[in-house]
Amino acid sequence: MRLNMHKFYKSSWFAFGLTVATLSQQMTAKADWPMFRGPNAGSVGIDSKLPTKFGGEAKENIAWRTELPGRSVGGVIVVGDQAITTSSSGMDQRRLHLISVNSKDGTIRWQQEFVARGRPFCHPTSANAAPTPASDGKHVFAFYSSNDIACVDLEGNLVWYRSLSTDFPKAGNDVGMSSSPVVLDGVCVVQIECQGDSFAAGLNAEDGKVLWKLDRPKQANWSSPTIVKMLDGQQVIVMQSSEDLLAVEPKSGKILWKKELRCSTIPSSFAAEGKLFVPAGGLTAFDLSSVGTGPSKLWDNNKLSSNACSPLVVGKNVYTISRTVLACGDLFSGESKWQTRLADAKSIWSSPVVAANNLYVFSDDGRCFVVELGDKEGKVVATNELGEAVLGSPAVSGNAMYVRGVSSLWKIAEK
Amino acid sequence: MLVRLKTRTFRRAAIFAVGFSISATILDPVDVRADGSLDSIKVLQKLTSGDDSTQAASKAITQLSKASDVTLIQSLTAMKGATPVGRNWLSGLANSLYRKSGKSQTAELTKFMEDASQDGEARYLVFQWLTTNNALLRKELLAKMNQDSSPELRFLAIDEAMKVKLENKDLSVLLDAARHPSQVVSIIEKLKELGVTIDQSKQLGFLPDWRLIGPFDNVGTVNFDKAFQVETDWARGATKDEYQGKTEAVTWKPHTTAAPDGVVDLAELYNKEKGCIIYAAAEFDSEKDQDAEIRLGCINGNKIWVNGKLVISNEVYHTGTQIDQYAEPIRLKAGKNQILVKVCQNEQKEQWAQDYKFQVRICDATGKAILTEGR
Repeated sequence: MRLNMHKFYKSSWFAFGLTVATLSQQMTAKADWPMFRGPNAGSVGIDSKLPTKFGGEAKENIAWRTELPGRSVGGVIVVGDQAITTSSSGMDQRRLHLISVNSKDGTIRWQQEFVARGRPFCHPTSANAAPTPASDGKHVFAFYSSNDIACVDLEGNLVWYRSLSTDFPKAGNDVGMSSSPVVLDGVCVVQIECQGDSFAAGLNAEDGKVLWKLDRPKQANWSSPTIVKMLDGQQVIVMQSSEDLLAVEPKSGKILWKKELRCSTIPSSFAAEGKLFVPAGGLTAFDLSSVGTGPSKLWDNNKLSSNACSPLVVGKNVYTISRTVLACGDLFSGESKWQTRLADAKSIWSSPVVAANNLYVFSDDGRCFVVELGDKEGKVVATNELGEAVLGSPAVSGNAMYVRGVSSLWKIAEK
Repeated sequence: MLVRLKTRTFRRAAIFAVGFSISATILDPVDVRADGSLDSIKVLQKLTSGDDSTQAASKAITQLSKASDVTLIQSLTAMKGATPVGRNWLSGLANSLYRKSGKSQTAELTKFMEDASQDGEARYLVFQWLTTNNALLRKELLAKMNQDSSPELRFLAIDEAMKVKLENKDLSVLLDAARHPSQVVSIIEKLKELGVTIDQSKQLGFLPDWRLIGPFDNVGTVNFDKAFQVETDWARGATKDEYQGKTEAVTWKPHTTAAPDGVVDLAELYNKEKGCIIYAAAEFDSEKDQDAEIRLGCINGNKIWVNGKLVISNEVYHTGTQIDQYAEPIRLKAGKNQILVKVCQNEQKEQWAQDYKFQVRICDATGKAILTEGR
């Protein structure tokens, strides 16, 4: 009897401990910058303070730099104290890496590795590791241009893997794919649009089962799905293509509304202030309070165009980048307010982020332009050089910015 | 009691033996002692695609991650004979096990990596573990690997060897070993700098000699799947000299490309025609019945038939191209083999959408050229 009671106490304590541990893990696993463009795809580090000057020969405000295998043009996410990114290396970039780096000191915490089973080919400036990974705070989803997708837990243990090109052999684009996955309500959503097997799919986050699949236009598309919170609180997945704009229910894939619209196929949409901003005809804003057949159009402005970077909102303004020109518009009326050329910037592929009213945007030669955002003008307050090509979008967590260079990961923070 | 124990042991052993013999062709030489783990590894080894397969694997890897009787070497050994998808699952398991105990198993891992009979992808994985942060070891190992059975390790070894200045003799050895076209081309360029000329097209096994006919109609990009009469006639081995083309009668024209990368530039040959289809026929004289691969680079819609069988089909336009963009296994018969390529051009007007070309080579599964008799 005594033994049984002892067992009972032990098991009770064990259960309690497990509960605390689980809660604790979930709390510490809160994803700070869980996917491409961060929480709500807003690209804004709320309450973050970043240095305006960093890098250069003095390596000013560089907390650490960690060299990683292969190359990447994707971004980085932050989950708890892990900065997580992908790489591709080896012959034809067939080796696929998923790497977690300790955000405190830049040491590698865990790695996973696979071999591409789909088409690994891409333009020389791109990489098989082009999509940014995503996390629900419990899992990490790594997706590659070759349409291989792996899900691991936060210790890097494989939960499931799928070769979507084995399932759908004509999926792929030899210029390279780059659409980043999103995860919502236990569903990981991928958008694989190309001239072959072109589709979007929702995969069960727990076991990789394809919960739904939507046929999509047979045209190349590099934009990413976006999570949009409707005004009634429902969260939906919005996808765009050269033919349409649509919202789907994440668990079922049911199309909630669909509009014929010629959207851009590189920059992605996002929602803010009850509006959906879509790179289409420059920039087009929709009113999310009007649902039914779909949100109604508020305005469009062809001077607020984006060739590669996704737009973002800060305060009452919306910002876009076309080539090397940063433009500002009124988010309510769409009227242009100002534009400024980022002098000497080369190609810009990396979507910008904002912290403390400063916009940080990298050109592909690794120079970061810091622009102080104002209602009347955008003032370039610093130009910083990392000395490494940057094509992915940074992550902001706490008072640090994590930057995925082509061959390494950087943490930038005030020293 | 003793009898009971022995009976139980016997039963377990018998079950294990039966299970092992059933799976021996896949598992050999894995020695997994727990039936549950054995079953789970079998599930991972056999994986193909689809929901059922993925869900079964997800359960299996959960079981294996909890099992205390699965070792790192077993997970790596199991990659031999596994399906491509299965190898990725096993690689995922191996990576986790390596984090737990791999660093204390350097000797076993080195032995595994040096065993050329093991799976090449598994050996490459181990090579990376052993040589990360050890540049000297990496260099030492790669110096012995330019003939390795693993294409990936061989590729690394040749890359490493090319970092230093080499003489003719060394470059010739590397050229013989190289399989990836990018490395073959680099070595040939270096030899050229030293005054040695190599026929790159022949070295890679490109087909230079073609008979071309067209253009046929593809306005609206609608005829990718239309079997023009020339296509059906070719399939039955009775082509005519002349067919009705897009706007007029067209005839077969012989064409030999002198391009080192085997490119046949149809835009140049057919006056930058758009919305059209050209057929290209070639004959390949094989010295014997043999397995081979046909490899195509083409930025336009394409199909290839070998001896009447459709082996490649891609309705894709202007999304990049390179040598070996598409590769498929074929069976060559001794003597004449007939190859037909259908190349479709659309009507895109953008400057980057004007290319109309293809390149075809025949090689073995490793990428080594197989040449037509007499070449």
